[in-house]
Amino acid sequence: MRGLLLSLGAVVLAFIAAPLLIVVPMSFSSAASLEFPPPGWTTAYYGAFFGDARWTQPTINSILIALAVAVLTMAMVTPATFALVRHRFAGKSTINLLLMLPLAVPHIVIAIGYYAYLSDLRLLQTFPGVILAHTALSVPMAFLVLSASLKGFDRSLERAAMSLGASPAATFRHVTLPVLWPGFAAAALFAFIQSFDETVVALFVSGRDSMTLPRKMFDSIRTTADPVIAVVSTLLFFTVAALVILPMLWRSFSRSRS
Amino acid sequence: MSTPYLELRGLGKSYDGRTRALDNVSLTAAKGEFITFLGPSGSGKTTTLMLVAGFESASEGDILIEGRSIGRVPPHKRGIGVVFQNYALFPHRTAAENVAFPLLMRKMPKAQAMAKAAEMLGLVGLERFGGRYPREMSGGQQQRVALARALVFDPALLLLDEPLGALDKNLREQMQIEIKAVQRRLGVTTIFVTHDQSEAMAMSDRIVVFDGGRIQQVGAPLDIYRYPSSSFVARFVGDSNILAARLTDPAGGQAEIAGIGTVRVPALPAARAGDAIELLLRPECLKPGSGLDNAARLTVDVIVHFGDSALVTGHAGGTPLRARLEGLAAQGISAGDTLPLSWATSSSHVIGRDAAG
Amino acid sequence: MDEAAGSPAVSRRIAPQRASLRPWLLLMPLLVFLAAFFLVPLAQVAMMSVTEPEFGFGHYASIATDGFYLRVLADTFATALLVATCCLVLGFPLAYAMAAASPNMAAAMMIVVTMSFWTSFLVRTYAWMVLLGRSGPIAALLDWIGLPHGELLFTRFSSTIAMTHILLPYMVVSLYAVLRKIEPSLLRSAASLGASPTSVLRHVVLPLAAPGVVNGLTLVFVLCLGFYVTPILLGSPREQMVAGVIGQQIEEFLNFGEASALAVVLLASTLIVLGLYHRRFGLDKLWG
Repeated sequence: MRGLLLSLGAVVLAFIAAPLLIVVPMSFSSAASLEFPPPGWTTAYYGAFFGDARWTQPTINSILIALAVAVLTMAMVTPATFALVRHRFAGKSTINLLLMLPLAVPHIVIAIGYYAYLSDLRLLQTFPGVILAHTALSVPMAFLVLSASLKGFDRSLERAAMSLGASPAATFRHVTLPVLWPGFAAAALFAFIQSFDETVVALFVSGRDSMTLPRKMFDSIRTTADPVIAVVSTLLFFTVAALVILPMLWRSFSRSRS
Repeated sequence: MSTPYLELRGLGKSYDGRTRALDNVSLTAAKGEFITFLGPSGSGKTTTLMLVAGFESASEGDILIEGRSIGRVPPHKRGIGVVFQNYALFPHRTAAENVAFPLLMRKMPKAQAMAKAAEMLGLVGLERFGGRYPREMSGGQQQRVALARALVFDPALLLLDEPLGALDKNLREQMQIEIKAVQRRLGVTTIFVTHDQSEAMAMSDRIVVFDGGRIQQVGAPLDIYRYPSSSFVARFVGDSNILAARLTDPAGGQAEIAGIGTVRVPALPAARAGDAIELLLRPECLKPGSGLDNAARLTVDVIVHFGDSALVTGHAGGTPLRARLEGLAAQGISAGDTLPLSWATSSSHVIGRDAAG
Repeated sequence: MDEAAGSPAVSRRIAPQRASLRPWLLLMPLLVFLAAFFLVPLAQVAMMSVTEPEFGFGHYASIATDGFYLRVLADTFATALLVATCCLVLGFPLAYAMAAASPNMAAAMMIVVTMSFWTSFLVRTYAWMVLLGRSGPIAALLDWIGLPHGELLFTRFSSTIAMTHILLPYMVVSLYAVLRKIEPSLLRSAASLGASPTSVLRHVVLPLAAPGVVNGLTLVFVLCLGFYVTPILLGSPREQMVAGVIGQQIEEFLNFGEASALAVVLLASTLIVLGLYHRRFGLDKLWG
């Protein structure tokens, strides 16, 4: 029985992994189709991606937008998290629910709302419009990550600092911030990735000039069998791999040092 | 009457306006004294410590150091060193940087601060550990760094909040000695919080026993042990027999105990015949045989041998009684035996009355 | 305790601590932002459903009566249920294997799951298009075996399997979170008391895993209800899910009113499911 479950587990793991890996060989395919295994191999499409402004521009757009979203999200979420984790006041649970709401609303629903609303504000198909929409959508995850980090923060460290003569401001600078930093960085990273990957709202809200990479990919997949899509997929996949694996490696490395 | 070095005046604390976490806590201490706050969890000892440190504000009362009130002073201006239960060492700083921190906060030049920190680490025996991070050190080592850090800036007061709880027995006893040695050497007035009565007995100049948010008794360890002012203190500090008795002759010191009969007790001239009293008899004061003033016959239920001593639990005619005998004297005793015991009147104490001394 | 000891006869009421303004100041920027850039557009959707092109509940009436819409909604719910079930069936053995594996092995498996979680679902959707395409490996495999298969892509099947793949990490994480908390000593003591492996699974593991199962099912179901991208890209054009229909109403017909009404229905369904979960378990359990 146990053996059955374990072997099934292995099969499922393969099921999860296989599609992820398949995009890599596809990016080297010489055929402009979805044919697999590829009939021939070439790196031409990598060149096509990096040389084509119709791909590189959305990529840059997405990066810039995601950066702005991360900054804006953290600027607002950080004080809010301190308020919710460290203070007692009425209405806390309602506010918690409000902060989680963007996670509960299907993106297509809010996308229509943004379409109409940003249009009224003349922000449709502009960078600020996309940034504002994506920021709202990033709030829940950033808050969850940061609040988990803050809840785990040992307050006696701050008390120790104060007993040793550090004013509240100095305590924040020398103790709270440095110790909280990993959680803060993780929350910012989540916000960045959320925005970078977000597709549905971007489809309705970004325009030709502010086009995001997911939107370009969506249009591409829908209309052509452009193998550059495989190239983009592979690049994205390895970027994610680096972002996920690097912190893990760093953590186990610093642990083994002690 | 000279001004005491430290004074707690009528401290009270309530979190919700109704129940009092602290009630009328008053105390004075001399410079260089080692005082222990002893009590069970929730007794108010840690709350009082937090008030002195400034992490909580008192609802009532004041705290004075050398006659100056510090009740309104924020914690980072009080100049009081604190050692926390979990040490609270900054994980992102080395041991030396931790110890130098308070000096840097006082605007000491970095080189000078690091030198002083190194000196302090030497005082606690960690000269070579300056460059280590807290996660690279054992519990005992972290403890000593925390102590060095709290002392390096010559604090007016040193507060220790159950610092030895996480250490194993041997390390704990060693640290008790070390902390006491450092304290005596530097002459810093110290408040030590613990729930471990043997620790309090071993280290303190004076013990303050807390319960229910109030001070139950203040005194030197031996005084508290021999003359507790309440049955709570009697039970909390050391093993005890608390026998219910009825005074028959208050002036002459005689009472009746069920199951034992007439016994001699310390004289209580102010009491009246017929009064109910509680007589404290420490188990080690009961000696086998019949040589002393008072006698009882103990029917043994359980005997536990510790090697150097034995604890005999049983009853004397229905009244529960326990005796601690020397190892050799306890040989051959088994459950069901009837043991003749006696004790000296002077070794017993009437709880809550006339603190003899 | 002796109340009279040490306290003066005057009443000594202790003042409670004042409520402070500080937390609200810290919260203000975020709350104002969310109100302006989330609540308002959301409200606008609800508004448009009854004001575009003119005031009235006509759109809702048409949704309630039009066979097409009803079928789409039913299909969406059915698909979401199907996907949730598939995720459970597939996710449980994997979560179990992870909980039973050595810490290093479990960490390695977790990396694979995490990688899938963080890989954009556009990428994963595209991967399934390759896998299930006419000139893809699955078709080739089936041909080699000799199984007739017809078009694998652009069917309900391709849409379901891709969505299962995309949502599987949510289920695995939910299940793993509860399974890893089950102490091995618990299983051993059950065995020592005479329970067969199947019994241990049924009477010890499954009941303890139940919260994770409910978590995972709820998460996957709710996320699947609102899926837009994957069904459009590789689902059947004749069996659309409601998100796709909403998008179509806007893009092709510019029918904001109808689209908004459908969106409200979708949102309401999502909130009802989440509300039921909250009522029974408390929403904070959903994200651990």
